[in-house]
Amino acid sequence: MELSQFISALTPFNLALALFGVVAGTVVGSIPGLTATMALAVLVPITFSMEPASALILLGAIYTGAIYGGAYAAILLNTPGTPSAIATTFDGYPMAKKGDGDLAVALACFASVFGGLVGAFALLFLAPPLSKVALAFGPVEYFWLSIFGLSLIASLSSGNVIKGLAGGAFGMILSTVGVAEISADIRLTFGSQMLIGGFGVVGAMIGLYCIPVLIDLVATPDRHLKVEDDVRSVRIGEAFNLAMKSKFNLVRSSIIGTLVGILPGAGGSVAGLVAYSEAKRTASPEQRFGEGEPDGIMATESANNATVGGGFVPTLVLGIPGTPPDAIVLGALLVQGVRTGPTMFSQSGSIVYTFIYGLIIATLLMLPAGLLIGRYAYKSIVTIPKAVLVPTVGFMTIIGTFSIRNSVTDVFLMLCLGVFGWVVAKFGFSASPIVLGLILGPIAEQGFVQGWTIGAATKNLFGMFFGRPISQAILAFTLITLIVPLYMARRKSRVQEVSDNG
Amino acid sequence: MAKSALSNTKGNLGSLVVSALFVVVGLVTLWDTTSYTDRDSQVFPQTVALVLVLTAGISFVTQFLRPSESDGFGPGDWWRRLLLVITMILACFLMPVVGFLPAGAIAFAGGLVAAMHDRWSIKTLLLYWGFGGVIMMVFFALFKYALHVPLP
Amino acid sequence: MIKNSLVKTAAAILLSAHVGMAASAELSGPVSYVIPFGPGGESDISARFQQPFFKEKFGQDLVISYQPGGGGAVGWASLNGLSGDGHTIMGVNLPHIIIKPAQKDVGFKTEELNTFYMFHYTPDAIVVNADSPYQTLADLVADAKAKPGEVTLSGSGKASANHLAQIKFDKLAGITTTYVPFKGTGAAVAALLGNQTKAEWGYTSVGAKQGDAVRMLAVAMGERHPLFPDVPTFKELGYDMTGGAYRGIALPNTASAETTKLWSDMIGEINNDPEFRKTMLDGGFAMLDVGADEMSDFMAERIEEYITDARAAGLIE
Repeated sequence: MELSQFISALTPFNLALALFGVVAGTVVGSIPGLTATMALAVLVPITFSMEPASALILLGAIYTGAIYGGAYAAILLNTPGTPSAIATTFDGYPMAKKGDGDLAVALACFASVFGGLVGAFALLFLAPPLSKVALAFGPVEYFWLSIFGLSLIASLSSGNVIKGLAGGAFGMILSTVGVAEISADIRLTFGSQMLIGGFGVVGAMIGLYCIPVLIDLVATPDRHLKVEDDVRSVRIGEAFNLAMKSKFNLVRSSIIGTLVGILPGAGGSVAGLVAYSEAKRTASPEQRFGEGEPDGIMATESANNATVGGGFVPTLVLGIPGTPPDAIVLGALLVQGVRTGPTMFSQSGSIVYTFIYGLIIATLLMLPAGLLIGRYAYKSIVTIPKAVLVPTVGFMTIIGTFSIRNSVTDVFLMLCLGVFGWVVAKFGFSASPIVLGLILGPIAEQGFVQGWTIGAATKNLFGMFFGRPISQAILAFTLITLIVPLYMARRKSRVQEVSDNG
Repeated sequence: MAKSALSNTKGNLGSLVVSALFVVVGLVTLWDTTSYTDRDSQVFPQTVALVLVLTAGISFVTQFLRPSESDGFGPGDWWRRLLLVITMILACFLMPVVGFLPAGAIAFAGGLVAAMHDRWSIKTLLLYWGFGGVIMMVFFALFKYALHVPLP
Repeated sequence: MIKNSLVKTAAAILLSAHVGMAASAELSGPVSYVIPFGPGGESDISARFQQPFFKEKFGQDLVISYQPGGGGAVGWASLNGLSGDGHTIMGVNLPHIIIKPAQKDVGFKTEELNTFYMFHYTPDAIVVNADSPYQTLADLVADAKAKPGEVTLSGSGKASANHLAQIKFDKLAGITTTYVPFKGTGAAVAALLGNQTKAEWGYTSVGAKQGDAVRMLAVAMGERHPLFPDVPTFKELGYDMTGGAYRGIALPNTASAETTKLWSDMIGEINNDPEFRKTMLDGGFAMLDVGADEMSDFMAERIEEYITDARAAGLIE
C-alpha cells in the first residue's frame, strides 16, 4: 500500500481506461438484459495483451459502471437494468412519474459514488479481516438472510399483505423449476424441454417489470413520464443537498452493501433489498417509501455499488468469487499468472493495490460521467415520442433476454411471464414480491437443506437454526421489521378512531 | 359512476380468478413433488406450495366476502395491447426460422403501430420507421459482432 | 501413459505446422466457445487458460461465453442446433453428460454429443481445513467409524463427481458420512474454510488454489500429483479409487469428420504445449489426452463406470 502503486494507477493510460470502462459500463448496465458479466466475458481476451493492473482497472471500472447504470432503466422505465437495481424501482419510478426523474438519476449517481467508495476503501484497508465475515456465514445464516429479505414483502405490499405473500410464494415456486441446483431432481417441467433451465432471474425480471410497463404505455395516449413545462437545468445541487441530509442513510446502506457483498452468493440485489428494508424501517413517519421517497433510491444505489468492493474481498482474499463478474475478473487474474487466495496480498500485492486504487479512481470518475450520461438518458427518455420508445424498449427486451443464454425459449418465457405479471398486477398481485421470491428462493432453499442436513447429522437441529449468534441477530431484525409496521398501523388506526369519534 | 361500478365487479371477478389460479399452481406443485426421488428437493417446494395455497385461499375467501376491490385493467385500447404482445410473441416464434433481424422488425413494427396515438404524417412516418431501422441495426451489430452473441 | 503422451508430443510438434495451416484455412473468424455454466468454475478457468494459446497458435480469437442452466443441460441440449462449421464449440463435463440424461429426459443424450477431445480432469480429493484435527485419511475414517453420520463433507451439487466420490468412498471404507451439497465448488470451499462442515469432497485444484489454508488427505489419482508430492493417493492407502470430473470439448454433430479431426488436432496441440501443461498443473488440474479417435472407447468405459456407481447409489433407476 505504497504511494507508487497509487501513482501507477494514475498513468494517463490507466485513467483513460477507467473513464472508458465507467462510461461503457454505465451504458451496458442501463440496457436490460445486457449484463456486466457479458461485457466482461467478451473483454477478457483484450486484457491479455495489457499490463495485469491496467486490465483489472478496465474490468473493475466496467463492473462498477454497470451497477450504477442499472438505475437508469429502473428509474425511467420501472425496469431494473441489472438485478442489483430492483429496489431502485420502488421509489425511483414513482419519482420519475411525478416529474422528478432527473433528480432521481442525480441522486442515484451521488449514492452510487458514495457506496462505491465505501466498498472500495473497505477492500483497501480491511480485506483480510472482512473475509472472515464470508466464512462466518454458514448455510443457516444464508437461510435467515433470505427470510429477512422476504420480510420486505410485508412492508412492500402495504395494501394487501396476503396477496404479497402469495406472490412471494409463487416466485419461490418459479425458482424451483428446472434441474435442481443442489439436489438430484428435475422439478416442475412436466416433461417439457423448455423448462429444464428454469426461469432465469434476469429474463424473469425483464418480463415482470418491463412488459407490463410497455402494455400500459400503448393502451393510452398519456405521456410516459410527467414533465414540468419549464425545462429546468440539471438538479445536481438539489440532489446534493438531499444526499447531504441523508448522510446517515448513505453510510448505513453502504456498510450493509459492503457486508452483503462479501457474502458469496448474495450479491447486489440482496444488498439493495436489505438496505432498502432498513432505510424504510428507520424512516421518519412523514417519509412515504414506495411513493417516490429519495431515501429509498439512495439506500439501494449506495448499497449495490458498495457490493462491488465488498465482492472483491472473498474473490481476492479467499479465491472465492461472490458474483459472476467477480468470477470473470478472477479468471482473468489467473490467466495473467496472478495467484488469488490467501497469499495474494503478500505475493502479488502491487497488482492488487494498483487495481484497488484504479477501482477508487473509476468510482470517482463515475461522478461526472454518471451525472452527464444520466442527464442525457433522462432527456432522451422524456423527449422521445412514445411511438418510438415502446418498440425500441421492446426490441431491447427481446435481444437482451436472448443473449443471456442464447435462448429463444428464454425470450418466450420472458414474454409469457410479462403478460402474466401484467394481468395479476392488475388484481393486486404486484411484480416485486414475485421477483423477490424468485431471487431469494434458491438462497432460502439451499440454506435450509444444507442447514438441516448438517443439523441432523450433528443431532442439533434446534441449535443449528436458532443457536448461532449471527442467525439470532438476523432473526431479531426480521421480527422487528415485521412487527414495527403492524404496531405503527394499529397506532395510526387507533388515533384515527379517536379523531373520528371526537 | 355506473362505469366505475362495472369495473369494480370486474376487478373483483379478476381477483377471484387470479387467487384461484394461484391455489391451483400450489396444488399442482404439491402433486409434482410426489414424483421426486430426493427428499432434499421436496421439502422446499412443498412448504412454499402450502404457503401459496393458504395465502391465495385466504385472498379468495376475503375477496368473496368483501368484494370491494377497485382493481381492473383500467382504460385503454385492447387492440393496442394485443398487437404489442402478439407481435412480440410472433417474433419469438419466427426468430429461428427467418432470422433475428426480420423477426425483430415485426415486433418493432407492432410496437410502433400500437404505441402511435397521433395521426401519421409524412415526417413522422419517415422519421420513426427510419429511426427504428437504425436502432435495430445498431443493436444487432453490437450484440452480434461486438459481443459475439450467436443471433439466429 | 507418459510414454504415450511423449509420442504424441513428438507427433504434435511434427504436425503443428500442418495443423496451424489447416486451421487458418478452415477458420474464417473468431470461434465461440460456450461454457454451459456460469463463470468462475473449473470449466471456465481451464477454458480461459486455453484462450491465449489458441490465439497464438491459430490466429483466431476464442470467445468464451456462458450459458448456464439446468446443471449444463440447457447448453448441451442446444449444442446440436448450432452451426457445425467449426466456429462454435462447447465445453462438456463428465459425469454430468452421462448422469443427467440417465436420470430424466433433459433434451440431449450422451451419445448424441460430438465430443472430440477430453483435455483434463480434476482428480477427486478429500480436503480439510488447515487447523482440522484430521491429519491423515485414517483419522477421518476412524472418526466416521466412531460416530456414523456425524462427519459432514461439503461438495458441489448432487449426483455430481463429488457426490459419487463420497458414496464410493463410504462404501470402500465401510463408513457413513453426511454429504452436504453446495452450489459449485466455490461455495463448498467457503463452507469448509468457515468450518461449517468438517471436510470437503473437492478436487486437487482446490488444494492448488487455497494453498496453506487447507490440507488434502488423499487424491484419487494413479500416481501422486506433481504439485502435491506429499499427498498420498487413495490407492496407496488401500482404497481402489481413481477418477474425478473430466472436461472436454464438443462440436455440434453436424460438423464434418474433417472439422472434428482438425479441432481434435488443434486442442491436442494446445494440450501438448509445455507452457500450457505447466499452467494447468500449477492450477491443480491433471492432464488428459483423449482425441477424437479414442473418444468412443473412453466414453464407453466412463458410461459403464458412472452408471454402475450412480445406480448403486440410488441416484438413477
